This record gives sequence, C-alpha cells and structure tokens, in this order.
Amino acid sequence: MNLLIILLMTTAFFLTRVTNMRTAVGIFLAQSVMIALASIIIGFETGEVHYYLAGLLTVVIKVAFIPYILFKIVKRLKNERETNSLLSPNLSSLAAAGTTVLAYGFIDQALPGVISRDALAAAIALVLIGLQIIMIRRQAVLQIVGLNIMENGLYLLGLSVTNGLPLILELGIFFDMLVAVAVLGILTYRLKISYASTDTTLLRKLKG
Amino acid sequence: MSAVLYGVLIVPILTAIAVLAGATSRSIKIMNLTGSALTSLLLGIIIYAINTTASLKIGILYVDHLSGLFLAVIAVLSFTASLFSASYMEKELITEKNDLKALKRYYFLFNIFCFTMISVLVVENLGLMWVAIEATTLASALLVAFYFSRAAIEAAWKYVMICTVGICLALLGTILLYYAQVSAGIGGDALSWLALKDSGAVLDVRMVKLAFVFIVIGYGTKVGLAPMHTWLPDAHSQAPSPVSGLLSGALLSCALYVIMRNIAIVKASVGFVFVQQVLMALGLFSILIAIPFLLVQHDIKRLFAYSSVEHMGIITFALGIGTPLAVYGALLHIFNHAVAKSALFYMAGVLTQEYRTKQIMRIKGLAAANPVLGGVFALLVLAITGSPPFGIFFSKFLITWAAFAAGYQLAGGILLVLVAAVFAGMLYYGCQILFGQPVATARNVRVGRPALAAMVLSVMIVAITGFYVPECFNNALRLAAAIVIGG
Repeated sequence: MNLLIILLMTTAFFLTRVTNMRTAVGIFLAQSVMIALASIIIGFETGEVHYYLAGLLTVVIKVAFIPYILFKIVKRLKNERETNSLLSPNLSSLAAAGTTVLAYGFIDQALPGVISRDALAAAIALVLIGLQIIMIRRQAVLQIVGLNIMENGLYLLGLSVTNGLPLILELGIFFDMLVAVAVLGILTYRLKISYASTDTTLLRKLKG
Repeated sequence: MSAVLYGVLIVPILTAIAVLAGATSRSIKIMNLTGSALTSLLLGIIIYAINTTASLKIGILYVDHLSGLFLAVIAVLSFTASLFSASYMEKELITEKNDLKALKRYYFLFNIFCFTMISVLVVENLGLMWVAIEATTLASALLVAFYFSRAAIEAAWKYVMICTVGICLALLGTILLYYAQVSAGIGGDALSWLALKDSGAVLDVRMVKLAFVFIVIGYGTKVGLAPMHTWLPDAHSQAPSPVSGLLSGALLSCALYVIMRNIAIVKASVGFVFVQQVLMALGLFSILIAIPFLLVQHDIKRLFAYSSVEHMGIITFALGIGTPLAVYGALLHIFNHAVAKSALFYMAGVLTQEYRTKQIMRIKGLAAANPVLGGVFALLVLAITGSPPFGIFFSKFLITWAAFAAGYQLAGGILLVLVAAVFAGMLYYGCQILFGQPVATARNVRVGRPALAAMVLSVMIVAITGFYVPECFNNALRLAAAIVIGG
C-alpha cells in the first residue's frame, strides 16, 4: 500500500510539470492502472469478490473509457497548447510539494493518531493537487484531467481508510465520473467550435 | 405503496424516452405534459401516504416528512415548468430556428433532470444522495448549455467545473463520515442515514467535524452559498427560462435537503454550537454578497439569480439558529421561495422573449403593454421581496422572530437591514419594468395560455400560504423540522 501511495504521488508530481495534453492523459491512465491494481491486490489479500469487481470497474471506466474519450478529444484539438498557465511548471511543482506538506500537517492537527495517517494525508494531497491543476492550467482538457485526479484521490481515500466503499456507491460514482467526462467533452468540443480554442481564459464574458 | 415509490422514478425516465420518439412538436408537448402530470400525481400520493404513516422504507428508498416537503416542491415545480415550457419552447423554436431535434433534446434532458432531483429525495443512503446530486449537475449542465451560444457554453463549463469540484469535496466529507461509522463499529448498511442518525453520539467527534466542514462546503457550492456561488448567476441567466426556474427553486432546495440530512447526524455527535457557527456565518455572508450585485444589475435573470443567493442565505441562516421555530420557518421559506422564484423566472422568460433582451433598462412599460401580465409580475415581485400578504413575508417573519427569540439580536438585526436593502433594490427594478416609458417593441406583449396558467397557479399558492397554512401542512412542517434538529 505504501509503495502504491508513493507511486501515485510521483505521478501527481509529474502531472504538475506537464503541459502537453496527450502526456497528461497518459499519466492519468497510468494512475488509474495503479488504482485498479491496488483494488485487486486488496481483493487478493481479503479474498472478497467486491474488490475484484471494483478493480474491474476501474479498468473498464478509468483505464479504458475515460482515457479513450480524452485521447479522442485531444486528437481533434490540433494546435492547442497550454500557454496561459497561472504558474510555471517549477512553481506548480513547488505548490504541489507545499500542498503535500500541508495535507500531512492538517491530518496530524485535525486527527492526531489516526490509524491510516499516510493514506489519508496522501489522498487529501492528491485531491488538493487535482484542484491545483484545475486552477493553474487553462486548457480545458488539462482541467478535466485535474478533476479525474481529484476523483482518484477520493478513491484512494475510500480504499485506504475503509477498505473501499460499498459496491453500489462505487458503481454510482464511476458512472457519474464517466458522464461528467462525457459532458465536459461535449462542452470542450463546443468551445473549440465557438471560440476556435479550448483555452478557458477566454471564458470571461459573464460577470457581475 | 412500493409501486408508487418506484413509479415516481420510472415515469420521468419513460417520459424522457417517449419524447425521443415523438413525431411532431405538438405530440412531444402533450407527452411531456402527461408524463409530468402523472409524476406530480404520484408524488401527491406519496406525500399523502407520508402524512398518514410518517415514513416509508422500501429497499434503498426511504421517505419521511422531510423528504415529503421537498417532494411537494418538485411536484409543483416540475408541473409548472412543463406547463410553461409548452408555450415558451414553442416560441423559442420560431425565434431561435431550432428544429424538432432540439425540442426532443430539451424535453429528454428536462425529464432526466426531474428524475435525478426526485432520486435525491427518495434514497435513504447518504452515498447514493451524493451520486444523485452529482447526476443533477450533469443532467442540468446540458440544459444550461442548451443554446450552445458562447455565453451558454461559458456558463455550462463554469457550472460543471465548480459544482463537480465542490461535490468532490462533499464526497470527501461523506467518505470521512463513513470512516467514522466504520471505526465506531455501527451496524447497518454503509452510510445508511437511519443507522447513522440513531448512533450519532458514538461517532468520533473530530472526524465528524472534519467531515461536516467538507460536506457543507461541497453541497454549499451546489446550494449557491457565498463565496462558492459564482456559478449560479451564470447558469441561471443562460439556461432556458423554465430550467432557470427549476434550477433556482428545485435544485438548490435538493442540495439544501442533503445538508439537512447531514445536520441531523452531525448535531448528535459534535453538538449544535459547531453547526450553528458554520451555518449562520455562511448564511449571513451569502445575503451580504448578493446585495451589491442585486442593486446594480443590468440583466433581469441575473437579478433573480442573485435574489436566489440571498434567499438561500436566509434559509441557511435559519438552519443555523436551529430552534424548532427557525427550522419550521426555513422549511416553509424553501417551499414559498421555490414556488415564487420559479414563477419569476418564467416571467423573465416571457419578458426576454417579448422584448428580445435581458437588459432591464430596455424592458419597460409592462403594465401598459399587457395589464394582466403586468399585474402578475407586480404580485410576483411583491411576493419574492417578502411583502405581506404573501407566504414569503410570513416565513421571513418567522425566521427573524426565531433569531430574536433565540437571543441573536445582532444577527437578527443585520438580517433585517439586509432584507430591507434587497427589498428596495428589487422594487426599484420592478417599478422600472412596470411603469417606465414603453419602448417601441413592447406594443403587443403576448403570453401563451399555459405559461400564464403556470404563473397564476404559483402566485395563488404563495398567496394562500401567506394567509393560511393547512393543518396537515403545518403538522408535516413541524415534524420535518423535528427530523432536522432531532427530538
């Protein structure tokens, strides 16, 4: 479990440096594979079918469907580059490092002596790094990836502190995530048509 | 009874599928109206059953007095929105050059949206409530983006992004709550509301506090509490008007409902003081933030959207006071606000269609152009700002009274000043629209009969709740308040 957490955090750090959309989706895919593996490993240890099913769902939705949709969108968006980032890659990695420290500090402060401290802190760090990516990056696709990173963090949280949510909830969450990516995909596509770009800094007409 | 409970979920889906098969705009309209009337009828049966048996639990579905009140909101609003859509979308088809396909897309999403909102209210499990709330965002996002204009896409993008991030935080809170449940060794299903409500006292206090903060921030985003309200005016102003009405009246209420369910658990564990501080501060801040935007607003739909932020603030504030009287007032206010505000959005839809602008400055002389519509508009503005004899006056009065009675003189005083400021702002714009010098385009302002019926029905309902709350409704509200604050 610890190895997995380290790997997940590493991929999240990589993501803060990436501005190429294709690479970003690839990193998300790698993260989803790790999470699916984790589910299956826990299933193997506890011998409960539930975890295998959750792992299988992760493979179907997060390793196959969502990256497929995202890759398809990226393919259509030629000439799109991340240009208006709020922070440079170096600064955003630094921010992610700061967030991780904060997450640990926060968990120690709010819940001293909690059993799965590392997993809890890493999950919260992952959620916050996802949020940071949404705030720092301006390309629509990178923001969608950020959202999925947040969700991966939540999945890790569920997996580590409670050994996974009930299957029906897992199913609902996966379904929502899938539809969310599809809806955001449609909107990204429409952005490209109406604004001729998927840079979200262009979205500043509605104010006041 | 179980057939009705499942039926209320199945009928909107069947309607959604049926409209896809519709051949003409007329048949689609009739199918949608029939479906929504049937849904409202089934909801009525459920509410009646709740009044006689207090609660029903069938499988993963559960309804009690609290969900009953919100189901009543959905029953009224989904029906009036369907009725209004019948005239409104017909005109949009002519003016916007949308074709039959767009109409099908609209009614399909409309019914799915209603389905997701009803499912929020009838599921028993907090996790499934989360799933349903996220589903409401996704169903309504495509409705917000319906026209696919630049502004609509911008609004929809911000809406999905902000609300999904918010709702992810709510999921974080919900998982923490589940952790608290597991570590306290409480039996029953994971995140079952009934199991958690009864054993709140044994949950780990620190964990529940942390969970509650995330839950309030998360669902608060969806309720439109400041400072997470930024998506709300954009989405409300860009969506087709019937959808704006549903968003403001029904969707915001559904998110509040989930917060209330969580309050019922949390207050048993961490005590009420903590909950109070969080909610009262957020509530007052929301009202405060809404006011400057209300006072200098150019867009009629954004004006009403900021008024929604204000009303959600008032309700959250009342939940924060937490006395039975305050929560009773809050619940009554939810009902009144939902009915009045949705009708106002329908009205805004008629006005933007007839005057072909959302600019308040260019909508003038309504009273002269169409006295009937002008009269309904005047009544609605008076109702939403809380003038007697309308229900909103009564519920606002109860909330202020409860604030003073519970010893929050300062907060109650601030509330009164803020509400007075909103009253002045809304009335100023209302008078401009009604009595200004008529503009050339306004010579014949017409409104379809179904649309007018939807608005008049809403005015009648808020007028009646101002004079007289029927005994069964009064009783249901009191029991619902007891569910929120325990006892």
